[in-house]
Amino acid sequence: MNGITFRDVTVRYPSRPIAALDGVSFDALPGHLTAVVGPNGSGKSTLVRALLRRIPLERGNIAVNSATLGNMQAREFARTVAVVPQREEPVLPLPVREFVTLGRHPHRGALSALSAADISAVDQAIHLAGAEDTLARSTDQLSGGEWQRVRIARALAQQTSIIVLDEPTAFLDVAHEMAVFELLDSLARDGRTVLLISHQLNLVARFASHIVLLNEGKVAARGTSDDVMQGAILERVYKWPLVITRDPAVGAPSLLPLRKQRSTRL
Amino acid sequence: MTSRVLLLALVCSVVACAKSETNTDSANRPPPLGRVPADTDDFGALLPVDTLAGARVVSLVPAATELIYAMGRGNRLVGRTTWDLFPDSARLVPNMGDGIRPNVEVVLAAKPTLVVLYASMANKAAADAFANAGIAVMSTRVDRIADFERLSRQLGVVLNAQQRAQQVVDTVKATLASVRDAVDGVVRPTVVWPLYDSPVMVLGHGSFVAELLDIAGATNVFADLAKPSPEVTIEEIVKRNPDFVMTSPVSAMRFASSAKWKAVRAVREKNVLLVDTLLTGRPTVTLGMAAVSLAKVLHPDRASRLP
Amino acid sequence: MSKRAGNSVGVNASQKGAVRSSHWKPLVLGVVALCVLCVLGLAIGAISIPIADVLRAVSGNGDAGTVAIVRELRGPRVLLAALIGAGLSVSGGALQGTLRNPLAEPFLLGVSGGAAVGAVAAMVFGATHPLAVTLAAFAGAAVATITVSLVARVVAGRTDARMLLMAGVVVGAFANAVIMVALAGAPAAELRGALWWMMGSVSDATWGDVGRLAVAVLVFGGALMWLARELDVLALGEEPAAALGANVDRTSRQIFLLASFLAAATVAAAGLVGFVGLVVPNIARALGARRHRPMLVVSAVYGAALLVFADLVARTARTPQELPLGAITALIGVPFFLAQLRRLH
Repeated sequence: MNGITFRDVTVRYPSRPIAALDGVSFDALPGHLTAVVGPNGSGKSTLVRALLRRIPLERGNIAVNSATLGNMQAREFARTVAVVPQREEPVLPLPVREFVTLGRHPHRGALSALSAADISAVDQAIHLAGAEDTLARSTDQLSGGEWQRVRIARALAQQTSIIVLDEPTAFLDVAHEMAVFELLDSLARDGRTVLLISHQLNLVARFASHIVLLNEGKVAARGTSDDVMQGAILERVYKWPLVITRDPAVGAPSLLPLRKQRSTRL
Repeated sequence: MTSRVLLLALVCSVVACAKSETNTDSANRPPPLGRVPADTDDFGALLPVDTLAGARVVSLVPAATELIYAMGRGNRLVGRTTWDLFPDSARLVPNMGDGIRPNVEVVLAAKPTLVVLYASMANKAAADAFANAGIAVMSTRVDRIADFERLSRQLGVVLNAQQRAQQVVDTVKATLASVRDAVDGVVRPTVVWPLYDSPVMVLGHGSFVAELLDIAGATNVFADLAKPSPEVTIEEIVKRNPDFVMTSPVSAMRFASSAKWKAVRAVREKNVLLVDTLLTGRPTVTLGMAAVSLAKVLHPDRASRLP
Repeated sequence: MSKRAGNSVGVNASQKGAVRSSHWKPLVLGVVALCVLCVLGLAIGAISIPIADVLRAVSGNGDAGTVAIVRELRGPRVLLAALIGAGLSVSGGALQGTLRNPLAEPFLLGVSGGAAVGAVAAMVFGATHPLAVTLAAFAGAAVATITVSLVARVVAGRTDARMLLMAGVVVGAFANAVIMVALAGAPAAELRGALWWMMGSVSDATWGDVGRLAVAVLVFGGALMWLARELDVLALGEEPAAALGANVDRTSRQIFLLASFLAAATVAAAGLVGFVGLVVPNIARALGARRHRPMLVVSAVYGAALLVFADLVARTARTPQELPLGAITALIGVPFFLAQLRRLH
């Protein structure tokens, strides 16, 4: 089966009694935008780390396009799955174009020059991510939002069938955030598998066809936005009073947190 | 002929110290107080003049050790340094280290009445420690030939052997004078005397070796540098172009096999003079013989008359 | 988001050209500077030799003294200095990439301490063979590097950059203690020789030293050049590098060891010459060579030129004495280092 399959994934950090991920199972399918949401510390980033094999699985397994992750070579994995990690600092700056070209690394040998295919992949990726206006600069001269887009461009340059993004809209304003979600939506419609880690419940509810809600390492709810965006479930998981509304213009449930402190204004 | 008599006198004094006697002082009465020179040692402390001070001596200066034997007071020694190999009987005396930062407890355990110490700042603390323990301390350094003469006189006073001390000094001075006479008027070759390889250090100016070299009839190309053993570059040696290189046999072999020393003309043309550095490195009773050995290497024909 | 689609190809092509030329110019400039400095290094010294005579002496013609000076005294010095500069710069550049820190130095991982222990041990035990100190220094550095790598792996479970740095500091401190003990009772001659060695100098350079270091620079430096593209990816960070298909642990370890052995070879040849490996890669990057393959090449050339110049200063600044090479590189390096710190903030 294509896409990413998580089966009973259990991860424990050394010297911590509670598992960071405990029996997590779900599928990220091609043609779908799958979102993993949950409060801080629920294990969302651990999932990405496990996928990158930076941390071993205590139990369970992960499969990519039906191949067990543990058996894949690193470069083979990088040609199949592009991952945009949550944080990255441009400690050794590069011109933007060279930075995006690093996305072609899994496709190149140690000494080979850039092929025409490489160059066009980079061009397309920059275009898709909307990063053309950054090309004249290097990576230490970008705003938070531009940096994010350039990193997405690098992942797109890998030309993989699966793309995983960990909090890709962290520093983006409304317009750019919407643009990224729309991009991810169009990538999913194109047939790719898109797996998204996000804390932006409302945007996830609008764009994701499949949502997995994590709480303390376990799956608390899964399904469509209607299945997961339930007041009772979310209040229990996020431990905060909230109300679910539905605006016809939006077409998906939205979450509105309420104030805990009594005041004259609501 | 005079030199042969002097050599005999020197041999006699050396032989005399091999005999073990305790107090052959009948011929050496302590001089009247008024005629003792108000000497101070090289740390500025007053010299001990009490002859009892010379009863048990730890000598941490190799030059002093040899002098003590030459003055016939070798039997008083209860401690020496690692470097004290002359005369042979010195090796029987307990070894108390290399003379720099001596182990005070080890020295005190030998219950000395006098410690002869090398006058460097590293030894100042030890000198104070010995003085506080009530032991007579004599701090000295022998850099030049004049220092040797002074040390001999000072030791003569302390060990109550002033006549012997004077004999030693006179012998050496006479030998040096004979060397000067032998090479008088000769054409003086220019020389360089490398002392160390990494970094390259050569004989400079202001040490007894430099003085001996001068007496033996040579001109040191680095005599203009004020330090006794300055660091220089090989290029500088090449630039000053000495006629000869003087060095120990071991170093000479190293020069012969070293590519970079070939830049020096004297090495290339094999004008390397071998020196007995064991003899020339001691500022003590053998200074005269050291000058003779240098003269024989520099001016073999002129020095052939020397012993 | 998708604007000016028609223009993109033209813009990109010219920008590719702009990126290329930015590191050809400094490279050519660097090579020219290196050649000029090498010739000056052969001509200038206690005795000034006219350039024409220098060129003749190189081929063995002319006065025997001049030939000896050019071929046996200055020739090995200049070439050894160039190789040391190149080796340390490449080593430093590679380490800065893997450790993701532009202030990393080739001696961070125990190399200097280990080499010094080896060299001092050889000197204190009175080893007489001319190669004894060189081999002992390299062996000491190798042992220290491997120890640092093993300690970091055992403690952290994998090759973690911070653990490596801490293990390097610990091993270095231990090495310093050993050196102090060894030198405490040493006679004056050994002490002087040990200090002279530790301050760095090419004054004892022989053609054998040049040959050996050339082999080390080609082998270790060549391997690092082969891994240069992996370095580009590692420099992004552990997670991005893993995401792009790099075997982060294995490749990091390989680069640490190669860079350390390269630095060790330079220390074995000429003692501790600091600041070069720190400063030169930053200069290369400031000149526009950002990707590791061009950066390492530019660093090698500029590092070589810097050291040939430093050696020239070391032997002419205070004649007849020779200043230690490490002191000159520090004097040049410190202002650069401070400027770089300012730039980073």
